[in-house]
Amino acid sequence: MRRHFWKWPIPTYLFLGGLGGGIFCLIAVLSLCVYPGAESVPMAMAWPGFLGICCLGFGCLMLVADLGQPMVFYRAFVKSTSVLAWGARLLTVCMIFGLLWFVSYIPWDWFLPVASFFVPFRVLNIAIAGIAGTCIMLYTGIFLSTLKSHAFWATPALPVLFTVSALSTACAAISLSAGWWPAPQGIMTEAAMLNMIAAEVVHEMVHVVDIILVICEIIVLLVMVLSFLGAGNKTANKVAHKWVHGSYALAFWGGMICMGLGIPLLLYLGLPHTVGSSVIAPILVLLGGLLLRFMVVNSDERAPLPGEDLYFKKLPPVDAEFIHKWTYGENLF
Amino acid sequence: MTRYCMVIDQRRCIGCHSCTVACRTWNELPLDIVYNPVLSEGCQGEWPNVHRNWTPTLCMHCEKPACVPCCPTGASQQDADGTVWIDYDKCMACLACVNACPYGMRDQSKLQPHLHRFVRKCTFCRDKRALDPDAEPYCVATCHQKARIWGDLDDPNSEVSKLIGSVETFRLLEDMGTGPQIYYIPDLGGTAR
Repeated sequence: MRRHFWKWPIPTYLFLGGLGGGIFCLIAVLSLCVYPGAESVPMAMAWPGFLGICCLGFGCLMLVADLGQPMVFYRAFVKSTSVLAWGARLLTVCMIFGLLWFVSYIPWDWFLPVASFFVPFRVLNIAIAGIAGTCIMLYTGIFLSTLKSHAFWATPALPVLFTVSALSTACAAISLSAGWWPAPQGIMTEAAMLNMIAAEVVHEMVHVVDIILVICEIIVLLVMVLSFLGAGNKTANKVAHKWVHGSYALAFWGGMICMGLGIPLLLYLGLPHTVGSSVIAPILVLLGGLLLRFMVVNSDERAPLPGEDLYFKKLPPVDAEFIHKWTYGENLF
Repeated sequence: MTRYCMVIDQRRCIGCHSCTVACRTWNELPLDIVYNPVLSEGCQGEWPNVHRNWTPTLCMHCEKPACVPCCPTGASQQDADGTVWIDYDKCMACLACVNACPYGMRDQSKLQPHLHRFVRKCTFCRDKRALDPDAEPYCVATCHQKARIWGDLDDPNSEVSKLIGSVETFRLLEDMGTGPQIYYIPDLGGTAR
């Protein structure tokens, strides 16, 4: 059977899209719902917001790079029934409003007229970017789960897993970068002290949230894979076997469950306020999220037609390459 | 209303691959693209009670095709007569439809760069029918065993309607709910279900 139509840019895009969307979702929730009115909290998260914009932008580039015709990517916005088209629109909205929110925090003197213009719209901009970001997180999982020809993707657990993973990786990214520029730096000024306190508050909050999310992710992941192993149809069962004790077992148990979720959880719980929980654990969570997307996208098996595997094994790819070169690319057969 | 469908009589198919060759020739397909592979699981059973089934395939031109709604550009379309086709001027080869098709009947050539730019599939020879409305797809016209029968399912006097109404038929991966419009008359050796 012909497999793996989507190459590495697509899982990278799904990871970066989820991460960027999750960052804006968390920024919106923390600054509008958890700490409303505390101006230093959103300011401490301005740099994570910029990272979110970069993730979304780079994710879009990955998506465009995977197209057969990258120069006509704008066609992706056309149709309303396509999940992919909605994803493209949401990414655009999130990036635009996220950028407008971020520029209002840029402290450069020459940029102040522009920044101050957007200050009154901060709440509106982050609210729109947060809603679009939440939709992006959901969309990355829904996008795959609507392709019901692939039994391992066509499950309601996949959007849940991708959403939890996106939020978890967003917590990790915010934990790594909260409090940086454009928030005031140093320890001598009141603004810098406020920023330090706000960054610490954000760190504490995202650590607690990430602990809950990592536990949820372990549960959802194991429920999804083990239920396919026990009760999935033939195709999903085959993929689950590959994950649990086949060629993906090392990546699944060692990479995702142990390094991507288990060890970060232990570091968060056992070594709080150390390099282990504030640097190593978030990095491992981010790598685990990336690995999850790669493993899921590469598990794109569909039920083969009777004899399909035999047929495509018989086709001579080397001969095809030879004839192609021999005919100088002309279609002469 | 016209609704095209195909009946494939597995009792008649001898696995000569003429349909594949005719299709490739007419559509000038690159070597790594096959619109209508003729599949077989090989010899089944124990001697002397052995048999071999052939399952000629092609795009199923489903009633509710999974490949059409997922296309973000609107390139993947369905005509009123049920033909599912791709508008190459709109396709950007995002491969969403390739992943959505339960039958794996869409593909993109990796060999020729100018064909890499869009996804290709069987169109029931839509371009040939545009020139001659009464024309049959090439795979049907070339089948010397008359294993492929093509026609209008909504016409009660068509051969396909009569066959579907009179003999046992089955469709591939029917549980996917896409309503494939390719019906198979099973071989005596058993069905390919």
